[in-house]
Amino acid sequence: MKSTHKLQTEQIVAGYDSKKILHGIDVVIPNNQINVIIGPNACGKSTLLKTMARLIKPITGDVILDGKSIHKIPPKKLARVLGVLPQSPIAPEGISVADLVGRGRFPHQSLLSGWSEKDYQAVEEAMDMMGITELANRQLDELSGGQRQRVWIAMALAQQTDILFLDEPTTFLDITYQVEILDLLTDLNRKYGTTIVMVLHDINLAARYADYIFALRKGELIAEGRPSEIITDELIKEIFELDCTVIEDPVSKSPMIVPRGRFHVFS
Amino acid sequence: MINSSTILIKQGRQRRFRKWLVINILLAALAVALCMAMLLLGNTIYPISEVFQVLMGERIPGAYFAVNTIRLPRMMAGLFAGLAFGMGGHIFQTMLRNPLANPDVLGITTGSSAAALFSILIFQTSNTVVSLASVIAGLVTVLLIYLLSSGSHFSIGRLILIGIGIQAALSAVISYLLMVGSQQDLPAALRWLSGSLNGAKMETLLPLICTVVIFAPLLIVLGKQLDILELGEESALSLGLSTNKIRLILILSAVLMIAFATATTGPIAFVAFLSGPIAKRLVGTGFSNVLPAGLIGINLVLGADLIGQFAFEVRYPVGIITGLVGAPYLLYLLIRMNRKGYL
Repeated sequence: MKSTHKLQTEQIVAGYDSKKILHGIDVVIPNNQINVIIGPNACGKSTLLKTMARLIKPITGDVILDGKSIHKIPPKKLARVLGVLPQSPIAPEGISVADLVGRGRFPHQSLLSGWSEKDYQAVEEAMDMMGITELANRQLDELSGGQRQRVWIAMALAQQTDILFLDEPTTFLDITYQVEILDLLTDLNRKYGTTIVMVLHDINLAARYADYIFALRKGELIAEGRPSEIITDELIKEIFELDCTVIEDPVSKSPMIVPRGRFHVFS
Repeated sequence: MINSSTILIKQGRQRRFRKWLVINILLAALAVALCMAMLLLGNTIYPISEVFQVLMGERIPGAYFAVNTIRLPRMMAGLFAGLAFGMGGHIFQTMLRNPLANPDVLGITTGSSAAALFSILIFQTSNTVVSLASVIAGLVTVLLIYLLSSGSHFSIGRLILIGIGIQAALSAVISYLLMVGSQQDLPAALRWLSGSLNGAKMETLLPLICTVVIFAPLLIVLGKQLDILELGEESALSLGLSTNKIRLILILSAVLMIAFATATTGPIAFVAFLSGPIAKRLVGTGFSNVLPAGLIGINLVLGADLIGQFAFEVRYPVGIITGLVGAPYLLYLLIRMNRKGYL
């Protein structure tokens, strides 16, 4: 299953209340890849993600899916192609895991229909993939942060979209769960060819898990490409204003940054 | 592909559906029983057979007047107002994800009451004008709350605080109107302070019945959309819900039902506030709670009216009884939300 969708942005200018955060961004999202947007706080990486995922309307410019503006595609139809896991999704009090995951089936259901066999199958596959099947009838409120994040991802998976956006899916999680979530997303990408676009805070995890990186600074795209091609001392200095040495990650052979502060520097 | 995990998911879901169904049936049965009690009980207790004959249109002396002219309109007023308050309150609470965000606390019902009192006490107008004024005032109050609370970033906390402020202001207006109103109009005005089913007439019920017949089924159908909206704006958008459109339909339907109910019976305290949370407590969260909330609204109003009529030496209007039940619950909810850090 390879997705054949083409998602790109055209000169996006976006922001809140006329305070512009993005100043004309042009990107083409590579298909079937894990794409990561990096950049310092307030550089607009989350805004870019939300604009591409139609959660924010750009002030000017447009997001184009298969040659058509995403704001001109019927919302339910679009929701069968583009899935989003927001940064802080809100769960109704007392909802069970299976019911919450099932809400991801909304774009596939008609006005009055209950769950079809297909819905059950999609929910089961999503929960299986995230390893939360045994939690099906538990309440979300009772689960740990890592488990809860897997439930939310399962809800987005049940939506069965070819493109999945995630806004900092590892924030608030321990390092163990961060790696676990990124592994699960890699599974998803390898198994179904799902195009993943996410914002990550940790540059080293981004460099390890990303096939393709977009680096932003102050609302402008500074660099894009494979991590091994673009992650250099100079780029990190330019984007984060941080002196660092880039070495090879001994585990993944991907680039790894080692920051230089004012202290503890011997070489 | 049937395996153990499919069965686990299916069984859980079917179990929750059965629970939803059973509770709805029980609530409906209780509502029917309370409706019957409303028709049977009174100063004179007529045999069931006679009550039925009257309902079928037979003019039995005595029973005909008591049942058809007094008890039936009273029961219908409670039935439709209860459904309207219960459903309308639940829509607001779910959409705004906060049990405090209900028409009572936000001052929507107070807006309707103030307008009704204004028409009665200042203009001495007829019933139709009073009803119309209270419906329009309900809509205007919602619009006002919405405009005042939609700043740069929408915040539910701010919306609730503004609602409480508006409610306080409108209560002051009500007090003022009662001071300046003439003595002879006060009895008519008093029912607007605490809701009452007294003096309900079939003719005056018609607008409420029509509104409920149109909008209650619409809200039940939109229950699924409401549940998606409850996941928050971003999740709802990404699931393909046209959030602005759905929100507008839901708010308009809920406000119209509540405003017409308030215009008919006055503000029956706390029914819109209690029904949703009780439904959630009984049923859980997996299936739409629009219908159970409406049924609980009916049971609360009819049950409270029966208690108010027959449990004490003096007859109390229904709003006094629901107020007695609701006020402690409001406090309990505030304490619980405070402990959980929601406030």
